[in-house]
Amino acid sequence: MTNRLKHYVLLSLFIVFALVPLTGLAQANLEINTPAITSIKQSMQTRHSQLVEFYNSGAVGLTKDGMIAIRDANAVPLAKRQLVNTLVSAENQDRNALYREIARANNHPEWEPKIRSTFGQRWINMARPGWWYQKNGNAWAQK
Amino acid sequence: MGNRLIAVFLLVSMAYLLIISASAAYPRFALVFDDIKGPFFAAKSIQVQFNDSNSGTAQLNIEIAEINVQNYTWKNIRLSCNTFQYDQNEILCKDGSITVPGLFSFPIFLHFLFDSSFLRINLKPSKSESWHFTLKRDRNAWLGALAINNGQLNTIAGWLPNNEQLLKLSSGKINGAVQLVGVDSDLKAVTIDLSIGALAFADQAGLHAGENIALVLKSDFEYSEQHNHWQWQSELYWQAGEVFWQPVYLSGNNHHLSVHGVVDNGVIHLLDSSLMFAGMGTFNFSGILNISGNPLNVFKLEAEDIELSALFDQILKPFLRDTSLAEVGVDGLIDFDLSLKNGVLQSIRLDLEDVNVIDSRDRFAFHRINAHIPWRINNTTVADINMLNGHLLQIPLGTIRAPLEINEFNLFLPQLALPVLDGILKLEDFSATYSKKGWQWEFNGELEPVSMATLTEALQIQQMHGTLSAFIPDVRYDGSNVSVNGVLQLSVFDGSVVIHNLKLIEPMGLAPHLKADIAMRDLDLELLTRTFSFGKVEGRVDIDVRHLELANWEPIHFDARLFSSSGSYSRRISQAAIKNISALGGEGAVMAIQRSFLRFFEEFRYSEIGWRCALRLNICYMGGIESEPRSSYTLVNGGGIPAITVRGYNREVGWQELINRLRRVTRENDPVIQ
Repeated sequence: MTNRLKHYVLLSLFIVFALVPLTGLAQANLEINTPAITSIKQSMQTRHSQLVEFYNSGAVGLTKDGMIAIRDANAVPLAKRQLVNTLVSAENQDRNALYREIARANNHPEWEPKIRSTFGQRWINMARPGWWYQKNGNAWAQK
Repeated sequence: MGNRLIAVFLLVSMAYLLIISASAAYPRFALVFDDIKGPFFAAKSIQVQFNDSNSGTAQLNIEIAEINVQNYTWKNIRLSCNTFQYDQNEILCKDGSITVPGLFSFPIFLHFLFDSSFLRINLKPSKSESWHFTLKRDRNAWLGALAINNGQLNTIAGWLPNNEQLLKLSSGKINGAVQLVGVDSDLKAVTIDLSIGALAFADQAGLHAGENIALVLKSDFEYSEQHNHWQWQSELYWQAGEVFWQPVYLSGNNHHLSVHGVVDNGVIHLLDSSLMFAGMGTFNFSGILNISGNPLNVFKLEAEDIELSALFDQILKPFLRDTSLAEVGVDGLIDFDLSLKNGVLQSIRLDLEDVNVIDSRDRFAFHRINAHIPWRINNTTVADINMLNGHLLQIPLGTIRAPLEINEFNLFLPQLALPVLDGILKLEDFSATYSKKGWQWEFNGELEPVSMATLTEALQIQQMHGTLSAFIPDVRYDGSNVSVNGVLQLSVFDGSVVIHNLKLIEPMGLAPHLKADIAMRDLDLELLTRTFSFGKVEGRVDIDVRHLELANWEPIHFDARLFSSSGSYSRRISQAAIKNISALGGEGAVMAIQRSFLRFFEEFRYSEIGWRCALRLNICYMGGIESEPRSSYTLVNGGGIPAITVRGYNREVGWQELINRLRRVTRENDPVIQ
């Protein structure tokens, strides 16, 4: 299995697990698929293979609010720090759009914060050993 | 850094003074000073020990418990001369060392000649590194010279207290010379010629860092007695290395900063200064700033023939990564100048030459833009903007010339004729305002007829015939959404289309949404069905699409109803069309048709056609002419001779499946009736 394929499989698993119905939102269909959601997922899949390197090095970590953040820029060569900025920014735009679209598709835009926090926890649960994530209180911890 | 250098200088100077005092031929003594204080300097518990062997050599030890310079403190500083020679003509400290525990310890050599007023201090922190300082005095004039050979900047950095807020210098090598010229206590001139290599620094978060930086600095400072001010000229060459200064990344490639100016009564005058950025161009600047910390009193910046691609990619784009310009490529040349006064922008001039702006996601492209854009505070100016061509959401745009009025952060364009395919989009009263929410704009106008054939070809969708024209009442953009106040009117398929409540949510975002209510009236069915190769149907229909919502330009929600228009007109339907309508309805509908009956006639008469679809979560809930839901529904109601009635039985169909069926039937231009 190529690395790229592995990344896709991993991201797909992430999304599947993240889409498990939420206890707090029994009515929400988190598996809902719209053209916008499909497009966002494809965009995230394409980017994930580039981000894995920075998750592995600890440069980028998963935040508790379902986003990602630069945790330690020193882990990235200078010439790549701008790329990390761009990837993190684009990924967060996608994630914001994903949570918003799922809430919209459920005709409940007001569910977005809950969807976001639930996704945040799912992403962290599914993170690989060695990856960094944000705990309550914003401190970083390593899986 | 200056404070540290002062501290070292004071330390050495104190030793020097004590050495002089020790020369009074006391074979052995010990002095203790409890406290010495100055305006920017304080020292505690200074112990001086002097031992003379009466053979012309002696030992000198000076220990200082604590030195404070402003907010910095160094403890247990020790200066020792193991071979201390003195006589009436000279003082010599050989095999000396200077130590600050935990920071540094290195050899020192001191030599002072009384007759020529000559002082020499050699510091040799390591085998390959040396700092030589000489001070010569001739009557009132004096000349100081510092020669540095392989000076290690990380040693100096080690003197600095740890502070997470500060950049940490991890390496750097300095070579060169500094010369100071003075008279009595006044400094008159300074000459600096230094090269710095392998410079590396970083803050704790790594968001501000540099590596392998090579710099050359040449500076001359001279005090003018005539004008009673300092004149200076500095040349800084950034030859190699890289810097990341969040969010900008730059690499050294013989960039050159040249700064000339004078300092007069605490005011710095920048004169004819420039920054040459390799691959980008030269920026000339001048200004006046107050050393006391006020913002730039006056500042002027001007540049010509700047490579916009380099300026945009390296400097501007990193700040735009959260905007729709993050994925834009720009090239061409730009001239510009700007001026500030008391920290407030006064004027800007931009001249664009053959600039191309291309979105990497192909949402828009603008080619060969030439523009003169002036802006002045508290004034109205007129920009002249020309564009050869471009496209917006795949719709080609022709040549435009826009005389744009600019007043502060308000833009106004009375009229603009924008060629769109073979028609013209006329914009009127375009106005835009920049506020905390970003740009907001509005306009009205009309679209003069565009042939549907060219439009559909440009959009790469099913080719259609007829023309598209529109009256555009009032379009507004509030910073994230575009809305049309009033109605948008189109003419297509010989009928009219009125769009109400049109709203575009985040049109340049990742998942643009479009919402609208659409009412189509008196569409010519023959034109419509011929366009889509659906099989000939004569008649006219009205179509209502309410609560339409597109996400990423695909429908996710609507309530659609198609029904025969009122009025008198020919109502005929071909057997091919009946077959295709049946196929759209699914297997149940096909079974409802009397196929044997169908064979006898090419065309049938009908009295009414109807179809409904409520799209919810990718499912189309279908119905026909009847408004009330039943187990079956009527799609075509027969009337006249020969007549045929087509009924549908499938109430629910997946939206994608319905689209696939439509594609299949429209591809089969010549259906076979069995």
